[in-house]
Amino acid sequence: MSSPATTVQAPLSVSQANGHARCKIAIEQVTKRFATDGPATAPVLGGVSLAVRENEFIVLLGRSGCGKTTLLNIVAGLEHASSGMVRVDDAPVTGPGAGKGMVFQQSALFPWLTARQNVMFAARKRLPDRVARTAMADELLDLVGLDNAGDKYPFELSGGMQQRVAIARALALDPQILLMDEPFGALDELTRIEMQNELLRVWSARRKTVIFVTHSIWEGLMLADRILVLAPRPGRIVLERQLPQTRPRKRSDPELIALYDDIWQSLQ
Amino acid sequence: MTMLPSTTVPSSRDPRHTPAWRSWSDPLLVIAVVLALWQTGSTLGWLQTVRFPAPTRLAQSLWELIVDGYPQGVTLGTHFAITMQRIVGGFLAAVALALPIGWLIGWYPALDRLTGTSVAFCRSVATLSLLPLALIWFGTGEASKLFLIGYGCFWVMLSNVIAAVQQVDPVLIRAARTMDANRFDIFLRVVVPAALPQIFAGARIALGVGFMVIVGAEMIGTIVGLGALIMEARTFYRSDITMVGMFVLGALAFAIGSGLEWIEKRLMPWHERVRRSGP
Repeated sequence: MSSPATTVQAPLSVSQANGHARCKIAIEQVTKRFATDGPATAPVLGGVSLAVRENEFIVLLGRSGCGKTTLLNIVAGLEHASSGMVRVDDAPVTGPGAGKGMVFQQSALFPWLTARQNVMFAARKRLPDRVARTAMADELLDLVGLDNAGDKYPFELSGGMQQRVAIARALALDPQILLMDEPFGALDELTRIEMQNELLRVWSARRKTVIFVTHSIWEGLMLADRILVLAPRPGRIVLERQLPQTRPRKRSDPELIALYDDIWQSLQ
Repeated sequence: MTMLPSTTVPSSRDPRHTPAWRSWSDPLLVIAVVLALWQTGSTLGWLQTVRFPAPTRLAQSLWELIVDGYPQGVTLGTHFAITMQRIVGGFLAAVALALPIGWLIGWYPALDRLTGTSVAFCRSVATLSLLPLALIWFGTGEASKLFLIGYGCFWVMLSNVIAAVQQVDPVLIRAARTMDANRFDIFLRVVVPAALPQIFAGARIALGVGFMVIVGAEMIGTIVGLGALIMEARTFYRSDITMVGMFVLGALAFAIGSGLEWIEKRLMPWHERVRRSGP
């Protein structure tokens, strides 16, 4: 079978507990300066380094304008670093594609394609056979809880459902890396919590290395294996916290509340 | 769900409570009422029939036009076909030119910077002010008519194609890039469908301009065509013929517009404007 179900599914406990799991993404001294910036302006990113382990769930947290989205785009290959480099499996990133799925803040679904066609679009190179591609799309829509929405156009879906399709579409690339740029930022609070749980469920079924950008501290605390707080201009990592391995987590967990205070302090 | 009494919520305001047949019967009713009032006014002598012929008189004139023609021998069918030919010819030529040029200007910001002002100016020139020039350049034959219609359609179409390409959401292009799309894929599978709704909107506006221009373009050097018919009849105080010509021209524009809308709905069932607009 050529469906994404064949992806390697390493149990989290192994890759995390021994602490020296393989490095999947290496971000090395990445700086970014926009052409429009004057010489006196601090760079958007000022030498950020980070090693992401295989199947690790990383959350990049920070205020608007701290460069977290820029960093994600550089990892995705959508933007170039001014200096430094990003390696995936030791190979330098030179462009998008090649096993890096991305979910954007707005669903970024193609409005002229149905949910199923949107998911199929992502796999058109990987699965040339239409029947196999359709089956794969239906399987993924099923996985994200949209088994009846395949024929619907994006405008017929709620914001939360659109993001589910966007996640299924990113998974259809069968990527080893999932890059998420505030994917739930535009959703209401209740839908957002629901989507966080959904994401964890999907992630436990299809284990990926995830970099998730958000400005919500609680979102980070609910999802991450490791949280990195970025401060702006120059964008740099000011705090790094490992989270407990338990999932699902409770907001009332005193450990999380202590972490919340830590992170809040680092954002001041 | 409970139905509210119609005294508090007028059911006609709520599309869910309106039966489908009312969407065409109601507009027809309005037309029938206007015609009835008009006819009554003529019969009672409130309207001067020479200036404002009654609907029954217009029906007779229509028949006369279809059978005998005006001027004698040039039937309505001929007028209709010639006008149609001029509009479609000028319109299609304008679209064929505007699509590639608009695409290039929309895609390359440098080109837009260079040409933006000129495009806006040419679009602002009232097409019919070019009529004397068109006659000098192309004579009184078909060429000058095609030129005028083409000119009017072209600039409207061009500015819409430019805007359509420029307004493609960049996040869609970035999303496509993360899904192994090359430049060709992005053009064909993202930019084209994303720009299509506004291109269609532009085509409809351009067609409207074509119908505005045709009457003026047919004023000189021809006695064939609906515009010529209207002008010719005016000279001989045949208000009835002028009115019939006007109505036929209106019906033609309405039919073509509806046809385009129908195609739009088939082609883009996902598009917002298409969903909201009625038949």
